[in-house]
Amino acid sequence: MAEDKFDRGSALTVFKSDRHEDFMALLLSLAIALLVYIFV
Amino acid sequence: MVYTRKTVWPLVLGIIMVAYAYMVQTGAMEPVIKFLGSGRNAGEMQILGYTFGVIGIVIGLWQLLVTPREGQTDYYLSMVGGVVFIMMVAFIVKWGLDPLMAQWGRAAQPALGFNFASVMNLNYVVMGILAGIIIVNVFKVPGWAENGVRLSRLGLKTGVILLGALYSLAELAHLGRLSVVLIGFFVLGSVGVVLWMGARRNMPNSMTGVLSAGVGVCGVSAAVAAAPVVQAKSTEIAYTIGTILLFGVLCMFIFPIVGKSMNMGFIQFGAWAGTGILNSAQVAGAALAFQPNGIETLKVAEIFNITRVLFLPLIVLWLAVWYVRREEAAGKTTGKVDLVQVVVGKFPVFVLGFILMFALSSTGIFAPAQHYQGSYFDNSDKVMSSKDREGKVVSKLLGEKDLAALNAEAGKVQRQDQKAALQRLIDNKKIMSIDDDDTLRGLVNAKVMSKAANDVLVKAHRAVRHTAKKIAMFRDLIAWFFTFGLVGLGMQITMASIKQAGGQPLVVGSVVGIIKALGSLLVVWLLVSETI
Repeated sequence: MAEDKFDRGSALTVFKSDRHEDFMALLLSLAIALLVYIFV
Repeated sequence: MVYTRKTVWPLVLGIIMVAYAYMVQTGAMEPVIKFLGSGRNAGEMQILGYTFGVIGIVIGLWQLLVTPREGQTDYYLSMVGGVVFIMMVAFIVKWGLDPLMAQWGRAAQPALGFNFASVMNLNYVVMGILAGIIIVNVFKVPGWAENGVRLSRLGLKTGVILLGALYSLAELAHLGRLSVVLIGFFVLGSVGVVLWMGARRNMPNSMTGVLSAGVGVCGVSAAVAAAPVVQAKSTEIAYTIGTILLFGVLCMFIFPIVGKSMNMGFIQFGAWAGTGILNSAQVAGAALAFQPNGIETLKVAEIFNITRVLFLPLIVLWLAVWYVRREEAAGKTTGKVDLVQVVVGKFPVFVLGFILMFALSSTGIFAPAQHYQGSYFDNSDKVMSSKDREGKVVSKLLGEKDLAALNAEAGKVQRQDQKAALQRLIDNKKIMSIDDDDTLRGLVNAKVMSKAANDVLVKAHRAVRHTAKKIAMFRDLIAWFFTFGLVGLGMQITMASIKQAGGQPLVVGSVVGIIKALGSLLVVWLLVSETI
């Protein structure tokens, strides 16, 4: 996939930076952990 | 730019997923599931089939009926097609090809003399990545899925963060000492060797610096973090990343084969993969390929991998000093590099997320705080007996036959700690402590006693080890996040990115990578016992 195919993010990620992607992964993980804590 | 493509495929894939989940639910797939021996996956086939199927249908219909306009809705909803596409490939590989290949491997064993599926590691992890590589290089990723495929790294990072929930302070202390020593030696050693070889082969300082961080620390993110410190050009970063990925992909296939042929234990292989493989994704891939039906190897490998990442600030500082000195010695002027800004700005936050999840897990909110390898030790009277279906109380204490089997072979045990733990087990009919449990697992692995006696030890181990439901749920989720991430990762490995690894960086990176892989294999093989 060429880099210029996307005007947002890069060829490897939809996020504008690695740091942004890291924070999204962190948020997603915390949300999942909360759901597991409450429902399992 | 409008990302949404008018296509029926997300809708079609969604319908197929829902139909499959429904057929599993009604028992229509029973003969196939029985033939493949994948009955234990029936629950997740329904949950995941319905979940992703409904998402595919709803978003697929929206994409067909609504004319997309540039904006956030278009950008984020267009990712769903790629997610459904990856999940479809993952379902086919995990629920279809994986059990089928295992069957064929067993069927061909008498003719070939070996189980080719086991020897070649043809499990869902390896086949998932291969499927991704084949799709992107032979057929191309469909345009409607391209945006969503870029979410695969998010899946891997989320998996790594969630992995923190499986550890507790006791376990980290258990593995941490070894990982810090082993990783410290190999990280600093490989960075040093790359810097030395780069200078000997007259590579540019910026190229050598960025390659050393990539080969020494944690692959792609380390290369990116070190790049501003050594003022690397984008082509040099691309060369480094190409080298790391090519070497990492080769390692991902070769390491599990070597590990199995050497009959390595889960902890030994995890320690080796976490030390010897250059990039986080390939560490996870190799660990899952080595042990596709369990997570013990992955957990150990990730502990080593995370330890390696924690060396990043130190390496960045080293490279900054090295680069400035080399450039000054060559009479070149260097721009001012703000070290604190580089470290703070580039340090991967998902590593901190892993530590945060680990801290939460250590408080005991997911499982008893002292849980070890996802399970916890409890030998109290309350858990040593349970009721069967008829309400009859069944004791988990060892019976007379079990004790007779152990007593008959106790004389074969020579090590004092193993002798003492075995005697305590015989006296009390149950394992008395976590340390005794570890010691007796070591005794089982050492195969000192007969299979019958070892079976009794395994039975005693299972009686005092319990897995918390929450941790079991985390394990399943982590396995799927990694499967998603690795299939998507395969779809990003193009021939062009592999070709980028040509030339000097490939030679230097490969030589140091091989030294690191063989050196860590030797050290792990000699120093790491199964229970550490």
